[in-house]
Amino acid sequence: MEDMRDAMLVGRDSEGKTVLRPTSPHLQIYRWKITMLQSILHRVSGSALAAGALVLVTWLAAAASAPSVFAQVQWWIASPIGLLVLFGFSLSLFYHMASGLRHLAWDALWGFEKPQFNATSAWIFAFAFVATAFVWGVGFFLVQG
Amino acid sequence: MVELSLPANSKVGRGKTYKAAPGAKRVKNFKIYRWSPDDGNNPRMDTYEVDLDKVGPMVLDALIHIKNEIDPTLTFRRSCREGICGSCAMNIDGDNTLACLKPTDDVKGEVAINPLPHMAVVKDLIPDLTQAYAQLRSIEPWMKSDTPPPDGERLQSKEERALLDGMWECILCFCCTTSCPSYWWNGDRYLGPAVLLAAYRWIADSRDEHAGSRLDALEDPFKLYRCHTIMNCTQTCPKGLNPAKAIAEIKKLQFERKA
Amino acid sequence: MAMQDKHPRVRVMQSPLGRARGLGSAQTGSGTWRLERVTAVALLPLSLWFVYVVLRLAHADYATTRAFVGEKIHAVLFLALIGSLFPHLALGLRAIIEDYVRGELTKFFCLFAVNAGCVLLALVAAISVLKLVS
Repeated sequence: MEDMRDAMLVGRDSEGKTVLRPTSPHLQIYRWKITMLQSILHRVSGSALAAGALVLVTWLAAAASAPSVFAQVQWWIASPIGLLVLFGFSLSLFYHMASGLRHLAWDALWGFEKPQFNATSAWIFAFAFVATAFVWGVGFFLVQG
Repeated sequence: MVELSLPANSKVGRGKTYKAAPGAKRVKNFKIYRWSPDDGNNPRMDTYEVDLDKVGPMVLDALIHIKNEIDPTLTFRRSCREGICGSCAMNIDGDNTLACLKPTDDVKGEVAINPLPHMAVVKDLIPDLTQAYAQLRSIEPWMKSDTPPPDGERLQSKEERALLDGMWECILCFCCTTSCPSYWWNGDRYLGPAVLLAAYRWIADSRDEHAGSRLDALEDPFKLYRCHTIMNCTQTCPKGLNPAKAIAEIKKLQFERKA
Repeated sequence: MAMQDKHPRVRVMQSPLGRARGLGSAQTGSGTWRLERVTAVALLPLSLWFVYVVLRLAHADYATTRAFVGEKIHAVLFLALIGSLFPHLALGLRAIIEDYVRGELTKFFCLFAVNAGCVLLALVAAISVLKLVS
């Protein structure tokens, strides 16, 4: 396959000699669209959640293991860095959830018109931020109470 | 890993500036990608100062003016100048579109013009479309029917004909295909939005009798399923068509025939 | 190909159509596409439930946590979460690898590592939950 990619870049100059053609600029010049940004964010948040799954497994395994191990994991999660990471996971989760819901709508052929996907783009960001804020609000309330 | 930056031979340098005639009142700068296979240099961006009082309203008018009056070596494709041939597809101000349909006034500041993105450059604004055309041919974009032709025409109800609206209008300019990051990274195997729209145009045609084998040919992780609904295709189509939706229709049919 | 050559030798003379057709259709793709969606639908309620669990157990000690996870209904939901999360995650990472990784051998090893990792992690998680069921 590498050969194919390279082969597509070989051209000829005016004398018929082979010449390596340049690749035209892409990411460097392309104007970002909101949908394009959200597509890559879907991937980034999904990758973050994959790391989150690792934490979930660690936490479950710790609960099934000795009290000292569990305490160690709980301490790590409750540390400032742990909470920051947890915050990232929650934001990723709600973003990925909303964006994923739109993917399902698209698969069902709903929402393909420009006004629709520009509106859903805004909803996705709004949901991610509001849901994250709500969950952390409830969390703080529980800690206080 | 995939190359997100440009390879060494593709890095774009600064080029020459062609000044407008003194006394020009409405001057607009056109910054245009230049590369020639004959001088062994890297690509560069040349700047042309154009007197807008001397040219028509579209970007293509300015390009033709530059070629005729300022620099005859500037090379680009154009033919119909009315958005039906698809020749003058290029990236203007960051968006893929047809130069003949893009008003110069739509662009604030200087007008940056590049070839269609992530393509092998033949010269200046001309990308090599060999692969895209071959991919189009690979989906066999013609009617395949085993029923012998009737005496008259092959008939189609109004409803059946209506299914083809939004697809027959495609002029194959490949603005959509070359706007798609998935095609940028995997264009050797992914068919891209324009070709998949063309494929669905024949799958959806009630006169065609090979929908099944067409779907078979597309049932592939790369040919079809590299589409991640990034939506650049639909966002950029200069004809207002919806390739992303056509691809979703194909995925839906692939799902339905196995459910 | 020696990309630095001024005049590179043409090594691929196959016709453009031959290149475009390549090895033809793999006759797969819709299966993984469907599994990704099915698991996504399952994860919608399950991940919301999991958020509730995290809030519930935010300050729980060792014994409370074990008792909570060990309750039959919770254990079943945890197993369902694990059973949808890991296939979904593996498919997502697979798409990323297929998109960006170059070289067939590297790609193969990345996919193998991801799939093997997901199976092992899912097993560890599931066995941990089962251990807590009273």
